[in-house]
Amino acid sequence: MKLKNWLKTALAVGAVAAYANGAYAEGTFRYATVGEPPSLDQQVITSDLATTIAHHIFEGLYTFNASNAPVPLLAAGDTVSEDGKTIVISLRQGVKFHNGEDMTSADVLASLERWGEFGSRGGLLFDHVESVEASGDYEITFHLKEPFGPWKNLMAFINGGPAIYPASVVTGATKEPISSENYIGTGPYKFAVWEPNRKIELVRFDDYQSPEGAADGYGGARVAEFDKLDFMPVPDAGTRVAGVRAGDYDYAESIPGDLFDDLAADSNVSTVLNGSPLFGLVFMNSKAGPLESNFALRRAIQTALDKTPAMQVAIGPKGLWRANGSFLPEGNVWYTDAGTEAFSQGNAEAARAMAKEAGYDGEPIKFMVSTNYPFHYDSAIVYTKQLAQAGFNIDLQVYDWATLIEKRAQPDQWDLFFTHHGFVPDPILISVMNDNYPGWWATPEKKALKDRFTASSDPQERQAIWAEIQALIYEQVPTMKTGDIYTYNIASPALKGLGEATLIWPSFWNVSK
Amino acid sequence: MFAYSAKRILTLIPTLLAASVLVFLFVHLIPGDPAAVLLGDTATPEEVAQLTKELGLDKSLVVQYALWLGNVVQGDLGHSLFFGDPVLTVIGRGAETSILLASLTMFWIVLIGIPVGVLSASFKGRWVDQLTSGGAMLFASVPTFWLGLYLILIFAVSLGWLPSSGFPSLSDGGLSNLRYLVLPSLTLAAPNAALIVRLVRASMLDVSREDHVRTARAKGLHPARVAVKHVFRNALIAVAAAFGFTFAALISEAVVTETVFSLPGIGQLVVQSILRRDYPVIQGVILVIVVLYSVINLLVDLAYARLDPRVSLK
Repeated sequence: MKLKNWLKTALAVGAVAAYANGAYAEGTFRYATVGEPPSLDQQVITSDLATTIAHHIFEGLYTFNASNAPVPLLAAGDTVSEDGKTIVISLRQGVKFHNGEDMTSADVLASLERWGEFGSRGGLLFDHVESVEASGDYEITFHLKEPFGPWKNLMAFINGGPAIYPASVVTGATKEPISSENYIGTGPYKFAVWEPNRKIELVRFDDYQSPEGAADGYGGARVAEFDKLDFMPVPDAGTRVAGVRAGDYDYAESIPGDLFDDLAADSNVSTVLNGSPLFGLVFMNSKAGPLESNFALRRAIQTALDKTPAMQVAIGPKGLWRANGSFLPEGNVWYTDAGTEAFSQGNAEAARAMAKEAGYDGEPIKFMVSTNYPFHYDSAIVYTKQLAQAGFNIDLQVYDWATLIEKRAQPDQWDLFFTHHGFVPDPILISVMNDNYPGWWATPEKKALKDRFTASSDPQERQAIWAEIQALIYEQVPTMKTGDIYTYNIASPALKGLGEATLIWPSFWNVSK
Repeated sequence: MFAYSAKRILTLIPTLLAASVLVFLFVHLIPGDPAAVLLGDTATPEEVAQLTKELGLDKSLVVQYALWLGNVVQGDLGHSLFFGDPVLTVIGRGAETSILLASLTMFWIVLIGIPVGVLSASFKGRWVDQLTSGGAMLFASVPTFWLGLYLILIFAVSLGWLPSSGFPSLSDGGLSNLRYLVLPSLTLAAPNAALIVRLVRASMLDVSREDHVRTARAKGLHPARVAVKHVFRNALIAVAAAFGFTFAALISEAVVTETVFSLPGIGQLVVQSILRRDYPVIQGVILVIVVLYSVINLLVDLAYARLDPRVSLK
């Protein structure tokens, strides 16, 4: 092609580019995510990003209102027998799946059975279930082995929870996530396309049957205002911020803490705090190594740590973190200060003496951390220094997250590892309560308290037992909480209906621009 | 030329075999279990072991390699562990972005690199040469992530002329979507164009000292004609090879630019696949890149013969 023709082509392309309409429709909501979720199958995937997207597609029988109390979603109501062992749940009628089929008890039963056997959190409930049956076209009955207090909270927590799929999709499904062509739910938006590394697109479900009542948290009426929701991976935080400022995205998640003050003062963006904090955890190995059953040595390590400097270094602005020792945040029904006097002592001398008394002879303590999460690494650096000052010989092992996950499953590979935990509405869902979670804390004292905790249906009694469990955690130190972290997102100021903070995950029904 | 090409294609076979062994070994030596990554935090060891078996990752490395190679020979690079789709389909999705980005970048490199290089050589030692050489040194040294972010701040955030990031497929908006690639291609072009400027300048200065150029000048030809017809054309031989490898590098090494601009290209695909331990995709992409480099190498050699009649292909 001659140079003149090249120039003509270039000019033509430029002209088209300059005058063409935007590639995205007006009714499209664009969300810049940090990456891509492994799958949108809510029953088996616990990634928060997956839930942020998928809870627009899939719904459960219950959800949470603004006070984090469970309220019906696909359920119409329930009755619990006097002995607490029989639960009858009536279903809403007229609810349609995205494939046009009516939702009936057959779908709910198939979904619950798959979740109970293979779901990430299904075993927590189904370990206490004798049987579950479809007792009518729109009625499900649970027969429990013993009363189980957290049942409704577990049913309402959609992350790794009992999302309801058509029986045709979920029958025969196992632990392996269902494929994208089977992403069929009852939510206000339906799955349209997943273009890897480009976008996951949801479109409005015109036959959506909303629950009644005023919107309250995730409960009440849901209206899909947008034609489409596009979730686009934008891995670089600077690009996410620039994209919202430039109007290319309506919303962007996981913005670095050090930009918070500037963005809060910027009229071109709105900051949206995540109302439910996540918290860092340093697990200790209860299966092997010097910390296996030496609770005194664990307490010595706990005594050496001062959590505040680590939070200052790792998170930054004061408004985004709180050195809070309670596993659930202040204001939450599960908040308790039981045991928290040991949370952040930062007393190197006392720690040194305690370690000596516990028989510590300076052998290396393997501490695994991943650089995939900068706040893990930054905090671990501070802790390593504090522990060294108290005389501990810390062997800091830095891995990528995939390697850390593999190694933490091998008890001989580590003594401490750093991870973090998302907000959960019931303490039974905190990973340290799971005997099989790496760390493998399963002492008789824990079992006795856990049995009492799950058997009780009385909210106040359960809160009191949880306080005892938290005190036991500070005594046996299966894990050390590092503090609460309030992550935040940014949004276009043009969005209406967002509120100042998210409940758990951002939701975009009842939101418009 | 046909016999030469056929011979070169045959020599590709041992190259690919060696590359496949290396790639397979390196990929499987990375610690991290794909099954554990896929199943997430709450999976039990039994569930991880079950999925490992289903994926065939419990077999010995030799058996896994033999099975994989057997499929590759039949054109089947396997299925992505993460997406579940055939690897070629996954690569194909990224290829659109990468090829368009590389092409647009090459457009800028040619448009900027060659004229500025010629200008620099033509005014050797004068202020034009010092300005262009200094500029080339600057752009060759500036990190692409820094330049990319500044271009976004200026042209997307402040001026609002161009999109900040992302790339909707051409099938989802037509040619107008090329505007999404303007800033990333300029970012990627900056250091590469700078290198081409320096290469063109150096090659032209080399050629201009040769006898035939002196003769042309002595014959009284116009300096511009000498520069274009006698110096530039001969200088192009060295530049042609650089263009070939630059194009291949733009497809395989644009990771940083793709990350800054959130482009769904091959570079991002490789990085994400490594983080997810998606072995078939990592192996497939690297194998495709090896083929790409080999083919471009061949095309460069063929171009030599076209540009320089003294080169014979045997």
